[in-house]
Amino acid sequence: MRTLKTIAAAGALATGLGAAAEAQETVTIAALYNLTGGMSSIDAPALNGALLHAALINEAGGLLDGTVMLEVVGIDTKTDQQETATAAQQALSMDNLVAGIGYGDTTFVLAAAPAFQEAGIPFVTSGATHPMLPTWVGDHMFMTAFGDDDQSYAIADYAYDTLGLRRVAVWTDDSMDFTRALSTFFRERFVERGGELVGDDFFMMGDTDFSAQIARLQAIDPAPDGVFVSAIPGEAGLSVKQIREAGITYPIVSGDGFDTELVSTVPGPDLANDVFFSSHTYRADDRQVVSDFVAAYEEEYGRPPENAFSPLGYDAIGLVAEAIEAAGSTEPSAIRDALAGIRDYEAVTGMISYTRETMVPPKPVAIIEVQGGEFTLLETWFPDEVE
Amino acid sequence: MTGTTRGWLLAAGLTALGAAAVWAATASLNNYLLTLIAFAGINVMLAVSLSLSNGLTGLFSLGHPAFMMVGGYIAAILTFPANRKGFMLPDLPEWLAAQQWPLLPALLVGGAVAGLAAIMAGFPVLRLRGHYLAVATLGLIFILRAVVNNLDGYTRGALGLSGIPKLTDLWWVYAWVVITLFVCWRIKHSSLGRTMMAMRENEMAAACMGVPLARTRLMAFAIGAVFAGIAGGLWAHLVTNLTPTSLGVFLAFQLVVMVVLGGQGSLAGAALAAIGLSAIANLLRPVEQSTGIYGMTQIVVALVLIGVLIFRPQGLFGSREPGVLMRRPESSAPSRTAASTQTTHLEQRGST
Repeated sequence: MRTLKTIAAAGALATGLGAAAEAQETVTIAALYNLTGGMSSIDAPALNGALLHAALINEAGGLLDGTVMLEVVGIDTKTDQQETATAAQQALSMDNLVAGIGYGDTTFVLAAAPAFQEAGIPFVTSGATHPMLPTWVGDHMFMTAFGDDDQSYAIADYAYDTLGLRRVAVWTDDSMDFTRALSTFFRERFVERGGELVGDDFFMMGDTDFSAQIARLQAIDPAPDGVFVSAIPGEAGLSVKQIREAGITYPIVSGDGFDTELVSTVPGPDLANDVFFSSHTYRADDRQVVSDFVAAYEEEYGRPPENAFSPLGYDAIGLVAEAIEAAGSTEPSAIRDALAGIRDYEAVTGMISYTRETMVPPKPVAIIEVQGGEFTLLETWFPDEVE
Repeated sequence: MTGTTRGWLLAAGLTALGAAAVWAATASLNNYLLTLIAFAGINVMLAVSLSLSNGLTGLFSLGHPAFMMVGGYIAAILTFPANRKGFMLPDLPEWLAAQQWPLLPALLVGGAVAGLAAIMAGFPVLRLRGHYLAVATLGLIFILRAVVNNLDGYTRGALGLSGIPKLTDLWWVYAWVVITLFVCWRIKHSSLGRTMMAMRENEMAAACMGVPLARTRLMAFAIGAVFAGIAGGLWAHLVTNLTPTSLGVFLAFQLVVMVVLGGQGSLAGAALAAIGLSAIANLLRPVEQSTGIYGMTQIVVALVLIGVLIFRPQGLFGSREPGVLMRRPESSAPSRTAASTQTTHLEQRGST
């Protein structure tokens, strides 16, 4: 953190000297994240990504020919919605505020973004994926990630076409909106493609014993071709371990909740086999922006990006910066219009264009395979309109 | 009856002073500070109403967030714009889906239902004591969370209600803080309050003196729940978002901390502790942001609590109220003097 600030200050100083005659302005981007509490493993890396990008931009001379410097103020909302509402008001009372970014979860976006909408300040969520978000909040709400419908469709298509699965059982974490939405969209697509759903089972966040669900899975006759497990990281590793320990060998498929080391470390290399999930495209991606990002992140924080949420936080700042450049202004209303007009922005997590009526960016989705504990990018799935 | 007149004058004076402060605040402060003050006010309501059961009656309840959830959901469903109810809450009966109430009746209905819920839950739960009661009331939070999660068509399940109209402002909060303080103050200094404190000190002795234990316990629990329900409604219309996880165990413990810091049974103490804790948390926020040490606030609050428990285990005021707010016995009628003596006796025992 401290080195970032120094770099930012040095960058600001250097450009200040270079363009001495020009008036320089520092604009504020409020970053609302749950840095403590239950969501912190997702949100803290996202803030790190955002801070890194702002520092890199300032180091490279700022925006609009060096007249605009970025300051990202991270606010900890403690995985608490009351804190979130207060933080949104705090952010909106800041001087020179041009945009807000934040959160990897829909619930918290819905607690913060309406205040930004009302104040006429654009809000870019880095990681929330509910496809209805922009519709619910309004025209100042932007998403960096794909929608849950796209990632479910991607893995459903892969399961049907490439893995050749026809009869699938679905497990759902019933305590989260994200996991419920993921299962709903998977069922919809898989049945539409001609597949058959042969079992529906549920568990709750925090469950550690899946033996009941496994017993019901084994009782399905004839046995399914695969099982879709809609879970977040904590349960992802455990469910894979216990399913494989029970001697079930058919494929396990899921969404970006499985994009975590836990899927290989918890079951261990002997059991972490035949797991396929859809996620954000940056792992094993050879584009220049991706390798630059990973290198910069490692240099700054001394470790590789923790998960897909750090590049998403990086991309959220990228979107705001791109919009400031396109608008040629730091007026929030001009930035909003420029954001809405973004086409083919080359983000670390894939191209971003706001072409859909729902304002959910049609982004490519990575299909990742886990064999022997190793993650491999198999293919990239594109939504219908991109193909 | 000069004592009574003095009491009323003091109450009216304090209310007017508070109103002037609210007026000055709304005229000069930005939305952020106003939101902070409003949340502090809601915390005052919650801590003071929780003092009825946890402080005065000696029932260790953690169930306040559950009653807030009841009141919050009821009030939010009632005030929700009728044109959006149809597709967001498809299972609502038609007569309810067509309603779009103003804030006040919605809060009152929410509070009343929360009170009823407390009476229903109270029958089985209040038979328990000590840790068992604490765990059972904690269970209420989880039961309600499961209910709200599964009543998808009425509550939108895990996703929660979003886009609740922002109707709560500082004036609403202030009015309810005054009402809560007034009602709880009157209860504490009435015969009902005396019986509650008598039960806290020694249940068997109180029962021998003819105190109806079950009924008094239930009343303390239910009246507290009514205010929790109303506070939940205010909360929902301030945050504009309400999900099954909005009001949880963490909040329950925070409220208990406020009651403990203020002094078990001291209403003014609970109110001051609520304000103080809200202030500490938010004063430290800018420090966290500039140093990057996120999570410092929680540590400081925990240290304050440990410090108080070591150096002043009875809390700020024990079971008393600050001296200036109390009636002076010498100016009261004889019957009141007797009552005051009894209070002093009880309060002394409470603080030892």
